[in-house]
Amino acid sequence: MNSTGNDIVSLNAVDISRTLQPRFYSKILCATEISHHHQAGLTQIPFERYVWLLWSIKESAYKYLQRHNPNLLFSPTKFFVTRLEIPSENPLRLMEGVGFEECPVYKSIVTFGPESLYSRSLINQEFIFSVVNQTNDFENIHWGIKSIDNADPDHQSTEVRSFLMDKLDELLPYDDLSISKNTYGCPILLNGTNQINISVSLAHHGCWVAYSLQPQETLATISF
Amino acid sequence: MTKQEILNELKKVIAPYTTNKELLESINDQTDLIKDLKINSANLVDIIIDAEAKYDIEIDYDSADKMVNVGTCIDVISEKIKEKNEQHG
Repeated sequence: MNSTGNDIVSLNAVDISRTLQPRFYSKILCATEISHHHQAGLTQIPFERYVWLLWSIKESAYKYLQRHNPNLLFSPTKFFVTRLEIPSENPLRLMEGVGFEECPVYKSIVTFGPESLYSRSLINQEFIFSVVNQTNDFENIHWGIKSIDNADPDHQSTEVRSFLMDKLDELLPYDDLSISKNTYGCPILLNGTNQINISVSLAHHGCWVAYSLQPQETLATISF
Repeated sequence: MTKQEILNELKKVIAPYTTNKELLESINDQTDLIKDLKINSANLVDIIIDAEAKYDIEIDYDSADKMVNVGTCIDVISEKIKEKNEQHG
């Protein structure tokens, strides 16, 4: 299944005191995930950050699966994050890349019913960014994160599309590229009126926007 | 509560999470919280929590999943108010 899913959480746009209330986080995390934070050596991640990290992984997984299951509803507690690995403490320097080899990355496996997906997440003081994939190989996945100057929803939407288009113009030989949505609301790439076989995912929250893109084949073979 | 009364209160619950105040005034059953009101998905849990507090109800996971547009929000809230009233006889 070719797809991609990403999400970004602006840590300045979340209410930390509310996040720490059980009635709030229990609508995002299942009981095992809550106890896992205390029991599995994860307490070096502040709990509110843990909640939003798992949210971003689950939302990314939802976006990944929804492309092939349009009627899927996002139900955070039905997505289950396991095997969360924390990076050694290197500061995050890259804001765009292909794969995550050069990054201090959080890794996990997220399951939804019979589906298992792999995640990579990047965290700094201002955001949590996650991408999921069906395999544990992310070397062909392009991603980018960018700050914008205001959080108006129309501005976010314009900026994230412009950010992705700039990257696509670098990568692809097409001259009539555009980003559209299919009938189920998933972003798709068009060259003229023809859909291109590259999955893209867009995310925005507060003053941050992000994309991921997953070619079905290597970009070198798409180039003519 | 009538459907109209729930709708009027729901507008107040939603208001902090949308910048589209004009559309909020004219919402109908089909108005989608994310696509139309441009509410960030990260705020959907806030809306559920605020609705629980506003109506003194508890919204379970399966019901929360359905709250994607104004009509389904009203249906869920209406159902939970009814359940609460039945429990309190």
